[in-house]
Amino acid sequence: MVRAIKQRLKTFEFTPYLVLGLALIILVVFIVYPLSKVIFSSFIVKGDAPTLRNLTLDNFAQFSTSTLYRSAFFNTMTVGLSCVLFSCLIGIPMAYFVAKTQTPLKTFFLTLGTLPLILPPFVGAYSWILLFGRQGVVNYFLENAFNFKLPDIYGAPGVIIAITMSTYPFIFLLTYGALISADPYIEESAEIMGASRWRVIRTVTLPLVIPAIVAGALIVFMRSVGNFGVPAILGGNFYVLPTLIHFQVTGFFNLNAAAAIAMVNVVLVAAAILLSQYVTSKRSYVTITSTTQAARISSSKLLKWIGTIFCLGVIFFSLLPHLTVIFTSFTEGWAGTRYPNKFSLQNYSRIFEIALVPIRNSLFLATTATLIASVIGTLLSYINVRKNLRARWILDLTVMLPFILPGIVVGVAILVGFSSGLIILSGTWMIMVVGFFIRRMPYIFRSTTASLSQIDVAVEEASTIIGASWLTTFRKITLPLMAPGILAGAVISFSTLMGELSTTVILYSARWKTISIAIVEYLFSATIGPAYTLGTILIVLVLAAIFLANRILGRRMSQMFKMV
Amino acid sequence: MTEHEESRVTLSIRNLSKVFRSKHDQVQALNNVSLDIREGELFTLLGPSGCGKTTTLRCVAGFEKPSGGTIDFLGQDFTSIPPFRRNIGMVFQSYALFPHLSIFENVAYGLRIRKLSRREIEDRVNRIIALVGLEATQKRKPSELSGGQQQRIALARALVYDPQLLLLDEPLSNLDAKLRVYMREEIRRIQQQAKVTTIYVTHDQEEALSISDRIAVMHAGKVSQVGSPDEIYENPHSIRVADFIGQANFLTCTVQRDADSVLSFRSGEQIKMINSSDNIRNYREREGILFVRPEQMEISADANHPNSLRGEVKVILYLGSVVRYYVEIFQNQKPQEILVDQDRRVRDVGVGDPVAVLVHGQEAKLFPTEQRKQLEKM
Repeated sequence: MVRAIKQRLKTFEFTPYLVLGLALIILVVFIVYPLSKVIFSSFIVKGDAPTLRNLTLDNFAQFSTSTLYRSAFFNTMTVGLSCVLFSCLIGIPMAYFVAKTQTPLKTFFLTLGTLPLILPPFVGAYSWILLFGRQGVVNYFLENAFNFKLPDIYGAPGVIIAITMSTYPFIFLLTYGALISADPYIEESAEIMGASRWRVIRTVTLPLVIPAIVAGALIVFMRSVGNFGVPAILGGNFYVLPTLIHFQVTGFFNLNAAAAIAMVNVVLVAAAILLSQYVTSKRSYVTITSTTQAARISSSKLLKWIGTIFCLGVIFFSLLPHLTVIFTSFTEGWAGTRYPNKFSLQNYSRIFEIALVPIRNSLFLATTATLIASVIGTLLSYINVRKNLRARWILDLTVMLPFILPGIVVGVAILVGFSSGLIILSGTWMIMVVGFFIRRMPYIFRSTTASLSQIDVAVEEASTIIGASWLTTFRKITLPLMAPGILAGAVISFSTLMGELSTTVILYSARWKTISIAIVEYLFSATIGPAYTLGTILIVLVLAAIFLANRILGRRMSQMFKMV
Repeated sequence: MTEHEESRVTLSIRNLSKVFRSKHDQVQALNNVSLDIREGELFTLLGPSGCGKTTTLRCVAGFEKPSGGTIDFLGQDFTSIPPFRRNIGMVFQSYALFPHLSIFENVAYGLRIRKLSRREIEDRVNRIIALVGLEATQKRKPSELSGGQQQRIALARALVYDPQLLLLDEPLSNLDAKLRVYMREEIRRIQQQAKVTTIYVTHDQEEALSISDRIAVMHAGKVSQVGSPDEIYENPHSIRVADFIGQANFLTCTVQRDADSVLSFRSGEQIKMINSSDNIRNYREREGILFVRPEQMEISADANHPNSLRGEVKVILYLGSVVRYYVEIFQNQKPQEILVDQDRRVRDVGVGDPVAVLVHGQEAKLFPTEQRKQLEKM
């Protein structure tokens, strides 16, 4: 008996259990633990000991007593629903034009249509005021020339426009993907039965892409109700839940109140997920068979021109804020004067004195978090795909949670989780890395899961039977084959972390200000020059990372966002 | 036929069983499988899909953990050794070449793990690649090779480190018909040259018959029969094996024992089995099922030929080496179609013509009637 056990121990392979177990432990410590803790603390009033006896709904009662809370809730709903609506109004026609008409410049539209997903929206948000605000250059021109003034953009309209312009690509890209992969014979069969073109679109094409639109709408909703930067800059007195959370954390350091607001924010997201699942399940769609046949393209000249103008317009408006940022960084004293009239590199001459530290911080934090997310995310996706776990969905859900939850909620959870109790990290750079890596691990997890499930298990078995241990097989076979997936996820993770704001704003400390924090601080003090110069540097860094990855991976940017 | 009676048993599988459990049900994939595989032989596991042949192979490799039973290799308990220490070579159905490594590196992989010197690695890789006849491909990637070439590289990769045992999992199923015939001869040649004990899994009975020293026919997780290809083809122990291997006709009859056995059929016709096989002579039951292969029958244009079954030709297929006649017999009483293979066309016989079918008793067999249910299952 003892000998048999000894024999077993000698031949048992511990490495996979050790390595993969470690990844699971990290998952529990850095996701499950803080999330449970934040839920618990939302039921405790600030100052009370976190015990079962002190559980109360007082924090939530604020939503019925405080007008600020109530309006923040309804404002958030308004922003979320409006952004979904406008994103659909922009994204669906654009997808149709690019996929189904003879509109030229398709690659151009697809590439530039992806940019708003990577460029942090808060960087460009102030540009809307600069251009269309009461003192804005467009308003000034219109007033002088036509004696006409645009309605005030500050508050709700600005927030909705700015967020929509950064979220419509989700609808656009997902709908586009569904349109080009739909079986063209289905449309042809409708036509052969006598349906007009508009009828085919209404009764066949559109219903086939509805699952994609719903999926896109869900992401748009999650992004817009969780956006902190845009309402912080453009909102003024227009409070939404994320800005209210920020207010509670930085204004009163009331983490319990923040946790409760965060919970309400999460409930909104959860409701949206349930609703979208209900919508897609009610209509039972058969999976669309993708044939090798390419999507059929409308030959209408009229549609071609309408499409071109529409797409150019959308691209122009969605990139306008960031173009304004770059443009403004090369002006001197603009926003003080009516029109930009002096151009120089003055902004850049002094920027490095003030920007070096935030740039260094951002690079360090984004790199560290991306590396950790890559390692852990890859291991977790290996468990997910290769180990036949019964509770696979729990693993999947846990990893994906920080992606689903608003960034500021994740920030609050991490702050609550690690500012007291067993592990204390608050005030250090480590707490920021934790927040960053769990928020970006889903990207790595998804893209490596995709590439791993395309690798034949037999390839790994072949390595094993040849004599390679688990670790050798993982290192020499599995990892190299997963590398493109890891890299793709890592690039998106890194480039979006460079401008990360909503988690950072909760977790940063004076010594660890990032580029995004520096930009926001300059914007709050209306120092446009340095803000936009830093913004330009950020945009350049992000684009450089994406460009490099495109070169290495040889993929189009819109394809890299497939798993989002 | 090679004699292996004297070779010693290297791999001994005893009472192997495997149950796959899923959320809803459990499947008994292997049920008390016992096999002895001898040194240097090419042993084939043959059966329809789902019969357990691949599961058996994967248990030997160590990718599946048996639910019961033992696997013994030269006295060692194989089940306590992890797959990567079993020193096995394996060729997968999908070949499973490493897509990111060159052909050379694919083949060298096992040698690098065994930490051979660079010189020796180069030597052995070159030698094995020459053995499979693909010297020019070393620098290429697997995706640049044809299916047949990938197949040979997979074989080279599995053999280069002198494994104690070679496992082949349906290695030819992804090749086209002609290449399949060529490659099975190649595999046989290379296996003989390497003198490695080999287990070969296939569902293709023709492949199994042509390549193997011995065959185990499997069905529903059990071994139906083990024997040399000749034994399996000529002397199947059950209707199931007889039906799975090659073409076969089964005719229900009653047996009267005289100096010779006389078989009477439901049509009222009788055949006297002259020179019949031992099996028929020793058959003791009254009812039986006559098993006879298409090539052991003969067609006569003379419909009134004595000691024969009357029938009508329904279809004639020209298959190249043989001509296959589909003949309907027992036309007055539940007609049945049988196959008769002739070396060449029978003169004056066309579709719709009445014919007589003669049975050669030497190789025919009688099975007890209770085995009839095995027929429907196949």
